[in-house]
Amino acid sequence: MSGNRSSAQRGIPTHPGRGWAQDGANTDDWLTSAAPDTGWATGPGSGTAFLHARPRATAGSRRALCLWLPTFELRLELVRTPELDSTSVALLSPGESTRRTIWQVSERAHEAGVRPGQLVSQAISLCTSLTLLEPDPAHYDAAVDTMLEVLTELTPVVEPAGRGRVFLGTDGLDRLFGAPTRQVERALSALFRVFPAPLVASTRAGMAPGKFGAWVAAASARCGAPVIVPEERLEAFFARCPVGALPVDPLVVQRLERLGIRTLGELRRLPEPSLVAQFGEDGRNALAWATARRIDPVRPWHRPRPIRTSLTFGMPVGTVETLHGALDRLAERALSRPSRRGRSVTGVRLGAHLEGGGSWFVETALREPTSDRERIAAPLRAKMAIAPPPRAVETLLLELTSFGAPSAQTGLFDRKSEGGRATAGTALKNGEVPSSLRDAIKELKLRLGHSPLFRVVEVDPWSRIPERRHALLNFDP
Amino acid sequence: MKPPSRNPDHRPRLKPLGQPRAVDVRTDEHGEPVHVRLPGRTARRVAVVRERWRIDDEWWRQSISREYRIVVLDDGKVITLYEDLSEGTWFVQRA
Repeated sequence: MSGNRSSAQRGIPTHPGRGWAQDGANTDDWLTSAAPDTGWATGPGSGTAFLHARPRATAGSRRALCLWLPTFELRLELVRTPELDSTSVALLSPGESTRRTIWQVSERAHEAGVRPGQLVSQAISLCTSLTLLEPDPAHYDAAVDTMLEVLTELTPVVEPAGRGRVFLGTDGLDRLFGAPTRQVERALSALFRVFPAPLVASTRAGMAPGKFGAWVAAASARCGAPVIVPEERLEAFFARCPVGALPVDPLVVQRLERLGIRTLGELRRLPEPSLVAQFGEDGRNALAWATARRIDPVRPWHRPRPIRTSLTFGMPVGTVETLHGALDRLAERALSRPSRRGRSVTGVRLGAHLEGGGSWFVETALREPTSDRERIAAPLRAKMAIAPPPRAVETLLLELTSFGAPSAQTGLFDRKSEGGRATAGTALKNGEVPSSLRDAIKELKLRLGHSPLFRVVEVDPWSRIPERRHALLNFDP
Repeated sequence: MKPPSRNPDHRPRLKPLGQPRAVDVRTDEHGEPVHVRLPGRTARRVAVVRERWRIDDEWWRQSISREYRIVVLDDGKVITLYEDLSEGTWFVQRA
Protein backbone atom coordinates (compact mmCIF):
# COMPACT_ATOMS: atom_id res chain seq x y z
CA MET A 1 0.00 0.00 0.00
CA SER A 2 1.49 3.19 -1.12
CA GLY A 3 0.10 4.94 1.93
CA ASN A 4 2.46 3.12 4.22
CA ARG A 5 5.40 3.86 2.00
CA SER A 6 4.49 7.50 1.96
CA SER A 7 4.11 7.45 5.76
CA ALA A 8 7.56 6.05 6.13
CA GLN A 9 8.94 8.57 3.69
CA ARG A 10 7.41 11.42 5.65
CA GLY A 11 8.93 10.00 8.80
CA ILE A 12 5.58 9.69 10.52
CA PRO A 13 5.73 7.34 13.50
CA THR A 14 4.12 4.02 12.87
CA HIS A 15 3.53 3.03 16.48
CA PRO A 16 0.02 1.85 17.14
CA GLY A 17 -2.27 4.69 17.89
CA ARG A 18 -0.14 7.37 16.35
CA GLY A 19 -0.09 6.96 12.61
CA TRP A 20 -3.32 4.98 12.64
CA ALA A 21 -5.98 5.19 15.25
CA GLN A 22 -8.48 2.55 16.12
CA ASP A 23 -11.80 2.58 17.85
CA GLY A 24 -11.30 3.00 21.56
CA ALA A 25 -7.70 3.99 21.05
CA ASN A 26 -5.66 6.15 23.34
CA THR A 27 -3.56 7.78 20.69
CA ASP A 28 -1.09 9.35 23.06
CA ASP A 29 0.39 6.24 24.47
CA TRP A 30 2.01 3.20 23.00
CA LEU A 31 0.20 -0.07 23.19
CA THR A 32 -2.98 1.19 24.84
CA SER A 33 -4.41 1.89 21.43
CA ALA A 34 -5.24 -1.71 20.81
CA ALA A 35 -5.55 -3.34 24.15
CA PRO A 36 -7.85 -6.32 24.02
CA ASP A 37 -11.27 -5.51 25.36
CA THR A 38 -12.31 -8.38 27.49
CA GLY A 39 -10.23 -11.34 26.53
CA TRP A 40 -8.43 -13.08 23.79
CA ALA A 41 -11.55 -13.61 21.83
CA THR A 42 -11.95 -9.90 21.23
CA GLY A 43 -9.52 -7.28 20.27
CA PRO A 44 -8.83 -4.51 17.84
CA GLY A 45 -11.61 -4.32 15.36
CA SER A 46 -13.12 -7.24 17.15
CA GLY A 47 -13.87 -9.43 14.20
CA THR A 48 -14.24 -12.59 16.17
CA ALA A 49 -17.97 -12.32 15.90
CA PHE A 50 -17.46 -13.56 12.38
CA LEU A 51 -14.98 -16.29 13.17
CA HIS A 52 -17.27 -18.75 14.90
CA ALA A 53 -14.41 -20.65 16.37
CA ARG A 54 -14.00 -22.58 19.58
CA PRO A 55 -10.64 -23.58 21.01
CA ARG A 56 -9.97 -27.27 21.22
CA ALA A 57 -9.05 -28.62 24.58
CA THR A 58 -5.40 -29.31 23.82
CA ALA A 59 -2.24 -28.28 25.61
CA GLY A 60 -1.38 -25.82 22.84
CA SER A 61 1.92 -24.07 22.29
CA ARG A 62 3.61 -22.18 25.11
CA ARG A 63 5.71 -20.00 22.86
CA ALA A 64 3.61 -17.57 20.84
CA LEU A 65 4.09 -15.35 17.86
CA CYS A 66 1.59 -12.50 17.51
CA LEU A 67 1.07 -10.90 14.12
CA TRP A 68 -0.92 -7.68 14.30
CA LEU A 69 -2.13 -5.51 11.46
CA PRO A 70 -3.63 -2.41 13.09
CA THR A 71 -6.68 -0.92 11.35
CA PHE A 72 -6.75 -4.01 9.19
CA GLU A 73 -10.15 -3.21 7.70
CA LEU A 74 -9.25 0.33 6.68
CA ARG A 75 -5.99 -0.84 5.16
CA LEU A 76 -7.87 -3.43 3.14
CA GLU A 77 -10.14 -0.68 1.84
CA LEU A 78 -7.16 1.44 0.87
CA VAL A 79 -5.57 -1.49 -0.94
CA ARG A 80 -8.82 -1.89 -2.85
CA THR A 81 -9.06 1.82 -3.65
CA PRO A 82 -5.46 3.08 -3.82
CA GLU A 83 -6.48 6.57 -5.00
CA LEU A 84 -7.85 7.22 -1.50
CA ASP A 85 -4.52 6.45 0.06
CA SER A 86 -3.28 10.02 0.22
CA THR A 87 -6.63 11.49 1.29
CA SER A 88 -8.50 11.77 4.56
CA VAL A 89 -10.50 8.57 4.88
CA ALA A 90 -12.63 7.14 7.65
CA LEU A 91 -14.41 3.83 7.90
CA LEU A 92 -17.91 3.93 9.36
CA SER A 93 -18.76 1.65 12.22
CA PRO A 94 -20.76 -1.39 11.15
CA GLY A 95 -24.22 -2.34 12.30
CA GLU A 96 -25.70 1.04 13.15
CA SER A 97 -28.56 2.62 11.29
CA THR A 98 -28.83 5.97 13.04
CA ARG A 99 -26.15 8.18 14.51
CA ARG A 100 -23.35 6.52 12.60
CA THR A 101 -19.98 6.82 14.22
CA ILE A 102 -16.42 6.62 12.97
CA TRP A 103 -14.70 3.27 13.37
CA GLN A 104 -11.23 3.68 11.90
CA VAL A 105 -9.45 6.71 10.49
CA SER A 106 -6.52 7.22 8.17
CA GLU A 107 -3.41 9.08 9.14
CA ARG A 108 -4.48 12.27 7.35
CA ALA A 109 -7.90 12.23 8.92
CA HIS A 110 -6.28 11.68 12.30
CA GLU A 111 -4.07 14.72 11.73
CA ALA A 112 -7.23 16.73 11.03
CA GLY A 113 -8.64 15.76 14.41
CA VAL A 114 -10.97 12.94 13.36
CA ARG A 115 -11.09 10.22 15.99
CA PRO A 116 -12.74 6.82 16.20
CA GLY A 117 -16.05 6.96 18.03
CA GLN A 118 -16.91 10.46 16.82
CA LEU A 119 -20.25 11.09 15.18
CA VAL A 120 -20.14 11.50 11.42
CA SER A 121 -21.33 15.10 11.72
CA GLN A 122 -18.49 15.89 14.14
CA ALA A 123 -15.93 14.23 11.90
CA ILE A 124 -17.07 16.12 8.79
CA SER A 125 -17.05 19.43 10.62
CA LEU A 126 -13.44 18.74 11.61
CA CYS A 127 -12.38 17.59 8.15
CA THR A 128 -14.58 18.74 5.27
CA SER A 129 -12.67 16.69 2.70
CA LEU A 130 -13.21 13.48 4.66
CA THR A 131 -14.14 10.43 2.57
CA LEU A 132 -16.44 8.07 4.43
CA LEU A 133 -16.42 4.40 3.56
CA GLU A 134 -19.11 1.86 4.36
CA PRO A 135 -17.66 -1.27 5.97
CA ASP A 136 -17.55 -4.42 3.87
CA PRO A 137 -17.44 -7.25 6.43
CA ALA A 138 -17.59 -9.99 3.78
CA HIS A 139 -14.42 -8.67 2.21
CA TYR A 140 -12.63 -8.42 5.56
CA ASP A 141 -13.67 -11.91 6.60
CA ALA A 142 -12.45 -13.32 3.31
CA ALA A 143 -9.08 -11.68 3.97
CA VAL A 144 -8.97 -13.18 7.47
CA ASP A 145 -9.77 -16.60 6.01
CA THR A 146 -6.93 -16.22 3.54
CA MET A 147 -4.57 -15.16 6.30
CA LEU A 148 -5.43 -18.13 8.51
CA GLU A 149 -5.18 -20.53 5.63
CA VAL A 150 -1.71 -19.43 4.62
CA LEU A 151 -0.42 -19.35 8.20
CA THR A 152 -1.73 -22.85 8.83
CA GLU A 153 0.82 -24.04 6.28
CA LEU A 154 3.49 -22.82 8.70
CA THR A 155 2.10 -24.29 11.90
CA PRO A 156 -1.14 -26.05 12.72
CA VAL A 157 -1.41 -24.06 15.96
CA VAL A 158 -3.09 -20.90 14.69
CA GLU A 159 -5.50 -18.93 16.88
CA PRO A 160 -7.23 -15.83 15.51
CA ALA A 161 -8.03 -13.02 17.92
CA GLY A 162 -10.13 -10.57 15.97
CA ARG A 163 -9.56 -9.42 12.43
CA GLY A 164 -5.96 -8.43 11.79
CA ARG A 165 -4.54 -10.19 14.84
CA VAL A 166 -3.47 -13.78 15.00
CA PHE A 167 -1.39 -15.92 17.34
CA LEU A 168 0.83 -18.71 16.07
CA GLY A 169 2.15 -21.46 18.31
CA THR A 170 5.85 -21.74 17.60
CA ASP A 171 6.85 -24.63 19.87
CA GLY A 172 9.01 -26.98 17.85
CA LEU A 173 9.40 -24.67 14.88
CA ASP A 174 13.10 -24.03 15.67
CA ARG A 175 14.03 -27.32 14.06
CA LEU A 176 12.04 -26.54 10.96
CA PHE A 177 12.76 -22.88 10.36
CA GLY A 178 15.64 -21.97 12.67
CA ALA A 179 15.91 -19.07 15.13
CA PRO A 180 12.84 -17.02 16.18
CA THR A 181 13.76 -14.18 13.80
CA ARG A 182 13.71 -16.67 10.92
CA GLN A 183 10.33 -17.92 12.08
CA VAL A 184 8.92 -14.39 12.01
CA GLU A 185 10.39 -13.90 8.54
CA ARG A 186 8.73 -17.12 7.36
CA ALA A 187 5.38 -16.00 8.72
CA LEU A 188 5.64 -12.60 7.05
CA SER A 189 6.79 -14.08 3.76
CA ALA A 190 3.75 -16.36 3.88
CA LEU A 191 1.56 -13.26 4.21
CA PHE A 192 3.44 -11.55 1.37
CA ARG A 193 2.36 -14.41 -0.87
CA VAL A 194 -1.33 -13.63 -0.46
CA PHE A 195 -1.58 -9.94 0.44
CA PRO A 196 -0.23 -6.83 -1.27
CA ALA A 197 3.20 -5.86 0.05
CA PRO A 198 2.12 -2.52 1.57
CA LEU A 199 -0.51 -4.27 3.68
CA VAL A 200 1.92 -6.85 5.02
CA ALA A 201 4.61 -4.21 5.55
CA SER A 202 2.43 -2.67 8.24
CA THR A 203 2.43 -5.91 10.25
CA ARG A 204 3.83 -5.79 13.75
CA ALA A 205 5.27 -9.00 15.07
CA GLY A 206 6.10 -10.03 18.61
CA MET A 207 7.23 -13.34 20.03
CA ALA A 208 7.23 -14.29 23.69
CA PRO A 209 6.05 -17.03 26.02
CA GLY A 210 2.24 -16.95 26.16
CA LYS A 211 -0.27 -14.92 24.21
CA PHE A 212 -0.17 -11.92 26.52
CA GLY A 213 3.58 -11.58 26.19
CA ALA A 214 3.43 -12.00 22.42
CA TRP A 215 0.67 -9.42 22.16
CA VAL A 216 2.55 -6.86 24.27
CA ALA A 217 5.66 -7.54 22.20
CA ALA A 218 3.77 -7.07 18.90
CA ALA A 219 2.10 -3.89 20.08
CA SER A 220 5.43 -2.40 21.08
CA ALA A 221 7.14 -3.47 17.85
CA ARG A 222 7.68 -1.28 14.83
CA CYS A 223 6.92 -2.38 11.28
CA GLY A 224 9.74 -4.57 10.02
CA ALA A 225 11.37 -4.80 13.46
CA PRO A 226 9.84 -7.69 15.41
CA VAL A 227 10.23 -7.78 19.18
CA ILE A 228 11.33 -11.16 20.52
CA VAL A 229 11.29 -11.63 24.28
CA PRO A 230 12.98 -14.67 25.83
CA GLU A 231 11.38 -16.22 28.90
CA GLU A 232 14.00 -14.98 31.35
CA ARG A 233 13.42 -11.35 30.27
CA LEU A 234 9.64 -11.50 30.19
CA GLU A 235 8.97 -10.05 33.65
CA ALA A 236 11.41 -7.18 33.10
CA PHE A 237 9.84 -6.54 29.68
CA PHE A 238 6.41 -6.09 31.26
CA ALA A 239 7.64 -3.47 33.76
CA ARG A 240 6.97 -0.47 31.46
CA CYS A 241 3.90 -1.93 29.81
CA PRO A 242 0.75 0.15 30.45
CA VAL A 243 -2.06 -1.50 32.39
CA GLY A 244 -4.30 -0.82 29.37
CA ALA A 245 -2.70 -3.83 27.68
CA LEU A 246 -4.22 -6.24 30.20
CA PRO A 247 -7.03 -8.34 28.74
CA VAL A 248 -9.37 -7.52 31.62
CA ASP A 249 -12.56 -5.49 31.97
CA PRO A 250 -11.88 -1.91 30.75
CA LEU A 251 -13.47 -0.63 33.98
CA VAL A 252 -10.72 -2.38 35.95
CA VAL A 253 -8.12 -0.61 33.83
CA GLN A 254 -9.86 2.73 34.35
CA ARG A 255 -9.93 2.25 38.10
CA LEU A 256 -6.27 1.24 38.20
CA GLU A 257 -5.36 4.37 36.27
CA ARG A 258 -7.42 6.53 38.61
CA LEU A 259 -5.51 5.00 41.49
CA GLY A 260 -2.28 6.09 39.79
CA ILE A 261 -1.23 2.61 38.69
CA ARG A 262 -0.23 3.06 35.10
CA THR A 263 2.24 0.29 34.34
CA LEU A 264 2.48 -3.42 35.06
CA GLY A 265 5.65 -2.68 37.06
CA GLU A 266 3.58 -0.53 39.44
CA LEU A 267 0.83 -3.15 39.54
CA ARG A 268 3.32 -5.83 40.60
CA ARG A 269 4.10 -3.94 43.80
CA LEU A 270 0.54 -4.37 45.06
CA PRO A 271 -0.31 -7.34 47.30
CA GLU A 272 -2.47 -9.97 45.68
CA PRO A 273 -5.17 -10.04 48.43
CA SER A 274 -5.73 -6.28 47.95
CA LEU A 275 -6.09 -6.66 44.19
CA VAL A 276 -8.49 -9.56 44.60
CA ALA A 277 -10.50 -7.61 47.18
CA GLN A 278 -10.79 -4.64 44.83
CA PHE A 279 -11.16 -6.30 41.42
CA GLY A 280 -12.01 -9.93 42.08
CA GLU A 281 -10.82 -12.50 39.57
CA ASP A 282 -9.67 -9.78 37.17
CA GLY A 283 -7.30 -8.49 39.84
CA ARG A 284 -5.79 -11.92 40.40
CA ASN A 285 -5.37 -12.47 36.66
CA ALA A 286 -3.87 -9.03 36.14
CA LEU A 287 -1.21 -9.72 38.73
CA ALA A 288 -0.48 -13.15 37.28
CA TRP A 289 0.08 -11.60 33.83
CA ALA A 290 2.11 -8.70 35.21
CA THR A 291 4.46 -11.05 37.06
CA ALA A 292 4.70 -13.43 34.08
CA ARG A 293 3.32 -16.23 36.25
CA ARG A 294 0.42 -16.78 33.89
CA ILE A 295 1.39 -18.02 30.44
CA ASP A 296 -1.57 -18.62 28.11
CA PRO A 297 -0.69 -21.15 25.46
CA VAL A 298 -1.80 -20.74 21.86
CA ARG A 299 -4.43 -23.30 21.03
CA PRO A 300 -5.40 -24.41 17.57
CA TRP A 301 -8.86 -23.22 16.69
CA HIS A 302 -11.41 -25.44 15.12
CA ARG A 303 -13.76 -23.74 12.74
CA PRO A 304 -17.02 -25.55 12.28
CA ARG A 305 -18.10 -25.46 8.67
CA PRO A 306 -21.17 -23.24 8.37
CA ILE A 307 -24.11 -24.07 6.11
CA ARG A 308 -24.44 -21.26 3.60
CA THR A 309 -27.31 -20.43 1.29
CA SER A 310 -27.70 -17.43 -0.94
CA LEU A 311 -30.25 -15.88 -3.23
CA THR A 312 -29.40 -13.48 -6.04
CA PHE A 313 -32.13 -11.08 -7.08
CA GLY A 314 -32.72 -10.16 -10.70
CA MET A 315 -32.72 -6.49 -9.70
CA PRO A 316 -31.44 -4.97 -6.46
CA VAL A 317 -34.14 -5.11 -3.81
CA GLY A 318 -34.76 -2.44 -1.23
CA THR A 319 -38.13 -3.39 0.23
CA VAL A 320 -38.07 -5.01 3.63
CA GLU A 321 -41.01 -7.33 2.89
CA THR A 322 -39.16 -8.79 -0.07
CA LEU A 323 -36.06 -9.38 2.02
CA HIS A 324 -38.17 -11.04 4.71
CA GLY A 325 -39.67 -13.37 2.12
CA ALA A 326 -36.24 -14.18 0.76
CA LEU A 327 -34.98 -14.83 4.30
CA ASP A 328 -37.77 -17.38 4.82
CA ARG A 329 -36.82 -19.15 1.60
CA LEU A 330 -33.15 -19.18 2.58
CA ALA A 331 -33.92 -20.55 6.05
CA GLU A 332 -35.97 -23.35 4.48
CA ARG A 333 -33.13 -24.19 2.13
CA ALA A 334 -30.47 -24.10 4.81
CA LEU A 335 -32.49 -26.33 7.14
CA SER A 336 -33.09 -28.85 4.40
CA ARG A 337 -29.40 -29.29 3.66
CA PRO A 338 -28.25 -32.85 4.36
CA SER A 339 -25.03 -31.48 5.86
CA ARG A 340 -27.05 -30.28 8.85
CA ARG A 341 -27.46 -33.96 9.75
CA GLY A 342 -30.43 -33.28 12.00
CA ARG A 343 -28.53 -30.89 14.23
CA SER A 344 -30.35 -27.96 15.75
CA VAL A 345 -29.14 -24.45 15.05
CA THR A 346 -27.79 -22.12 17.73
CA GLY A 347 -26.19 -19.31 15.72
CA VAL A 348 -27.17 -17.65 12.44
CA ARG A 349 -25.85 -14.84 10.34
CA LEU A 350 -27.63 -12.92 7.61
CA GLY A 351 -25.64 -10.97 5.07
CA ALA A 352 -26.03 -9.18 1.79
CA HIS A 353 -24.00 -7.97 -1.13
CA LEU A 354 -25.16 -4.44 -1.74
CA GLU A 355 -25.82 -2.53 -4.91
CA GLY A 356 -22.76 -0.52 -5.86
CA GLY A 357 -20.38 -2.68 -3.81
CA GLY A 358 -19.99 -3.35 -0.14
CA SER A 359 -21.70 -5.80 2.12
CA TRP A 360 -23.86 -5.91 5.22
CA PHE A 361 -24.23 -8.45 8.00
CA VAL A 362 -26.23 -9.09 11.11
CA GLU A 363 -25.66 -12.00 13.41
CA THR A 364 -27.51 -13.52 16.30
CA ALA A 365 -27.20 -16.32 18.78
CA LEU A 366 -30.52 -18.07 19.20
CA ARG A 367 -31.99 -18.26 22.68
CA GLU A 368 -32.45 -21.97 22.40
CA PRO A 369 -31.38 -24.52 19.80
CA THR A 370 -33.98 -24.89 17.10
CA SER A 371 -34.58 -26.26 13.65
CA ASP A 372 -37.73 -24.26 13.07
CA ARG A 373 -37.66 -21.79 10.21
CA GLU A 374 -39.67 -19.14 11.99
CA ARG A 375 -37.55 -19.27 15.14
CA ILE A 376 -34.46 -18.76 13.01
CA ALA A 377 -35.91 -15.99 10.85
CA ALA A 378 -37.67 -13.97 13.59
CA PRO A 379 -34.57 -12.74 15.46
CA LEU A 380 -32.88 -11.93 12.15
CA ARG A 381 -35.89 -9.88 11.08
CA ALA A 382 -35.71 -8.01 14.39
CA LYS A 383 -32.00 -7.33 13.85
CA MET A 384 -32.74 -6.22 10.31
CA ALA A 385 -35.31 -3.75 11.61
CA ILE A 386 -32.71 -2.22 13.95
CA ALA A 387 -29.87 -2.15 11.43
CA PRO A 388 -31.29 -2.50 7.91
CA PRO A 389 -29.05 -2.81 4.84
CA PRO A 390 -27.89 0.70 3.92
CA ARG A 391 -28.51 0.15 0.19
CA ALA A 392 -30.48 -2.10 -2.11
CA VAL A 393 -29.55 -5.77 -1.88
CA GLU A 394 -28.24 -7.74 -4.85
CA THR A 395 -27.65 -11.05 -3.07
CA LEU A 396 -28.95 -12.18 0.29
CA LEU A 397 -26.91 -14.76 2.22
CA LEU A 398 -27.81 -16.88 5.22
CA GLU A 399 -25.31 -18.87 7.24
CA LEU A 400 -26.08 -21.36 9.95
CA THR A 401 -22.93 -20.79 11.93
CA SER A 402 -23.18 -22.94 15.02
CA PHE A 403 -25.08 -26.04 15.87
CA GLY A 404 -26.46 -27.78 18.92
CA ALA A 405 -27.62 -31.26 19.66
CA PRO A 406 -29.84 -32.98 17.11
CA SER A 407 -33.31 -31.52 17.31
CA ALA A 408 -36.50 -33.44 17.88
CA GLN A 409 -35.88 -36.70 16.12
CA THR A 410 -38.40 -37.99 13.65
CA GLY A 411 -40.71 -40.18 15.62
CA LEU A 412 -40.90 -43.85 14.90
CA PHE A 413 -44.61 -43.45 14.42
CA ASP A 414 -44.46 -40.30 12.31
CA ARG A 415 -47.03 -41.00 9.61
CA LYS A 416 -45.54 -38.43 7.28
CA SER A 417 -42.47 -40.57 6.83
CA GLU A 418 -44.54 -43.46 5.59
CA GLY A 419 -44.86 -42.13 2.07
CA GLY A 420 -47.44 -40.48 -0.11
CA ARG A 421 -50.12 -43.10 0.41
CA ALA A 422 -50.16 -42.60 4.15
CA THR A 423 -50.33 -38.83 3.91
CA ALA A 424 -52.95 -38.77 1.17
CA GLY A 425 -55.95 -36.86 2.31
CA THR A 426 -54.22 -35.38 5.36
CA ALA A 427 -53.78 -31.66 5.43
CA LEU A 428 -50.26 -30.32 5.00
CA LYS A 429 -49.06 -27.34 6.93
CA ASN A 430 -48.14 -24.22 5.02
CA GLY A 431 -44.77 -24.71 3.35
CA GLU A 432 -44.69 -28.44 4.03
CA VAL A 433 -43.70 -30.68 1.14
CA PRO A 434 -45.41 -34.05 0.74
CA SER A 435 -42.96 -36.90 0.90
CA SER A 436 -44.14 -38.22 -2.49
CA LEU A 437 -43.09 -34.95 -4.13
CA ARG A 438 -39.87 -34.96 -2.18
CA ASP A 439 -39.08 -38.46 -3.48
CA ALA A 440 -39.92 -37.45 -7.04
CA ILE A 441 -37.57 -34.50 -6.84
CA LYS A 442 -34.87 -36.70 -5.39
CA GLU A 443 -35.19 -38.99 -8.40
CA LEU A 444 -35.08 -36.09 -10.83
CA LYS A 445 -31.99 -34.75 -9.13
CA LEU A 446 -30.29 -38.11 -9.51
CA ARG A 447 -31.05 -38.07 -13.22
CA LEU A 448 -30.38 -34.44 -14.01
CA GLY A 449 -27.94 -33.36 -11.33
CA HIS A 450 -30.26 -30.62 -10.11
CA SER A 451 -33.92 -30.07 -9.36
CA PRO A 452 -35.71 -28.91 -12.53
CA LEU A 453 -38.75 -27.71 -10.59
CA PHE A 454 -39.51 -24.13 -9.69
CA ARG A 455 -42.03 -22.42 -7.53
CA VAL A 456 -43.51 -18.98 -7.85
CA VAL A 457 -42.49 -16.61 -5.09
CA GLU A 458 -43.54 -13.07 -4.37
CA VAL A 459 -40.64 -10.72 -4.82
CA ASP A 460 -42.18 -7.28 -4.67
CA PRO A 461 -45.93 -7.84 -5.11
CA TRP A 462 -46.81 -4.14 -4.97
CA SER A 463 -44.18 -3.00 -7.43
CA ARG A 464 -45.37 -0.71 -10.24
CA ILE A 465 -43.06 -2.60 -12.57
CA PRO A 466 -44.81 -5.89 -13.43
CA GLU A 467 -41.69 -8.02 -13.93
CA ARG A 468 -40.57 -7.23 -10.37
CA ARG A 469 -43.66 -8.65 -8.68
CA HIS A 470 -43.14 -12.41 -8.89
CA ALA A 471 -40.31 -14.74 -9.77
CA LEU A 472 -39.45 -18.39 -10.13
CA LEU A 473 -37.19 -19.98 -7.56
CA ASN A 474 -35.57 -23.41 -7.79
CA PHE A 475 -37.64 -25.86 -5.81
CA ASP A 476 -35.30 -28.17 -3.96
CA PRO A 477 -36.79 -29.12 -0.59
CA MET B 1 -22.19 -42.10 -7.88
CA LYS B 2 -23.52 -38.59 -8.16
CA PRO B 3 -23.92 -37.53 -11.79
CA PRO B 4 -22.19 -34.33 -12.85
CA SER B 5 -24.47 -31.33 -12.83
CA ARG B 6 -25.50 -30.18 -16.28
CA ASN B 7 -25.58 -26.69 -14.95
CA PRO B 8 -22.33 -26.19 -13.07
CA ASP B 9 -23.33 -22.65 -12.18
CA HIS B 10 -26.58 -23.85 -10.67
CA ARG B 11 -26.80 -21.18 -8.01
CA PRO B 12 -30.13 -20.19 -6.54
CA ARG B 13 -31.31 -17.26 -8.55
CA LEU B 14 -34.68 -15.65 -8.92
CA LYS B 15 -36.04 -15.75 -12.46
CA PRO B 16 -38.41 -12.84 -12.93
CA LEU B 17 -41.88 -13.66 -14.22
CA GLY B 18 -43.72 -11.45 -16.69
CA GLN B 19 -40.67 -10.27 -18.57
CA PRO B 20 -41.61 -7.91 -21.44
CA ARG B 21 -41.28 -9.10 -25.06
CA ALA B 22 -40.57 -6.80 -27.99
CA VAL B 23 -43.42 -6.33 -30.49
CA ASP B 24 -43.85 -4.52 -33.80
CA VAL B 25 -46.30 -1.67 -33.41
CA ARG B 26 -47.44 0.77 -36.08
CA THR B 27 -48.63 4.07 -34.68
CA ASP B 28 -50.72 6.95 -36.02
CA GLU B 29 -49.70 10.61 -36.16
CA HIS B 30 -50.52 10.99 -32.42
CA GLY B 31 -48.29 8.09 -31.42
CA GLU B 32 -51.24 5.80 -30.65
CA PRO B 33 -50.91 2.11 -31.61
CA VAL B 34 -52.85 1.18 -34.76
CA HIS B 35 -51.47 -2.24 -35.69
CA VAL B 36 -49.72 -4.76 -33.48
CA ARG B 37 -47.81 -7.84 -34.59
CA LEU B 38 -47.12 -10.20 -31.69
CA PRO B 39 -44.08 -12.49 -32.00
CA GLY B 40 -44.86 -15.31 -34.46
CA ARG B 41 -48.34 -13.97 -35.31
CA THR B 42 -49.87 -11.92 -38.08
CA ALA B 43 -50.44 -8.21 -37.57
CA ARG B 44 -53.72 -7.20 -35.96
CA ARG B 45 -55.56 -3.92 -35.90
CA VAL B 46 -56.10 -2.22 -32.57
CA ALA B 47 -59.86 -1.97 -32.06
CA VAL B 48 -59.84 0.12 -28.90
CA VAL B 49 -57.48 1.40 -26.25
CA ARG B 50 -59.16 0.49 -23.01
CA GLU B 51 -56.83 2.03 -20.43
CA ARG B 52 -53.52 3.83 -20.22
CA TRP B 53 -51.07 4.83 -17.49
CA ARG B 54 -47.49 5.96 -17.18
CA ILE B 55 -44.61 4.82 -14.97
CA ASP B 56 -41.55 6.92 -14.20
CA ASP B 57 -39.33 5.24 -11.67
CA GLU B 58 -35.81 4.49 -10.50
CA TRP B 59 -34.38 7.79 -11.66
CA TRP B 60 -31.50 7.16 -9.25
CA ARG B 61 -30.49 3.94 -11.00
CA GLN B 62 -31.29 3.29 -14.65
CA SER B 63 -34.36 5.39 -15.18
CA ILE B 64 -37.55 3.56 -16.16
CA SER B 65 -40.07 5.52 -18.21
CA ARG B 66 -42.96 3.58 -19.73
CA GLU B 67 -46.40 4.38 -21.08
CA TYR B 68 -48.72 1.41 -20.71
CA ARG B 69 -51.90 0.72 -22.70
CA ILE B 70 -54.40 -2.08 -22.39
CA VAL B 71 -55.65 -2.60 -25.93
CA VAL B 72 -58.28 -4.80 -27.51
CA LEU B 73 -57.28 -6.24 -30.89
CA ASP B 74 -59.73 -6.77 -33.74
CA ASP B 75 -59.91 -10.52 -32.93
CA GLY B 76 -61.06 -9.74 -29.39
CA LYS B 77 -57.72 -10.46 -27.71
CA VAL B 78 -56.81 -8.15 -24.84
CA ILE B 79 -53.13 -7.39 -24.39
CA THR B 80 -51.02 -4.97 -22.38
CA LEU B 81 -48.53 -2.93 -24.38
CA TYR B 82 -46.06 -0.38 -23.26
CA GLU B 83 -43.82 2.08 -25.02
CA ASP B 84 -40.36 2.53 -23.57
CA LEU B 85 -40.21 6.31 -23.68
CA SER B 86 -36.45 6.46 -23.33
CA GLU B 87 -35.85 4.28 -26.40
CA GLY B 88 -39.13 4.54 -28.32
CA THR B 89 -39.57 0.78 -28.52
CA TRP B 90 -42.75 -1.24 -27.87
CA PHE B 91 -43.24 -4.29 -25.68
CA VAL B 92 -46.03 -6.63 -24.73
CA GLN B 93 -46.25 -7.69 -21.13
CA ARG B 94 -48.50 -9.69 -18.87
CA ALA B 95 -49.36 -7.02 -16.32
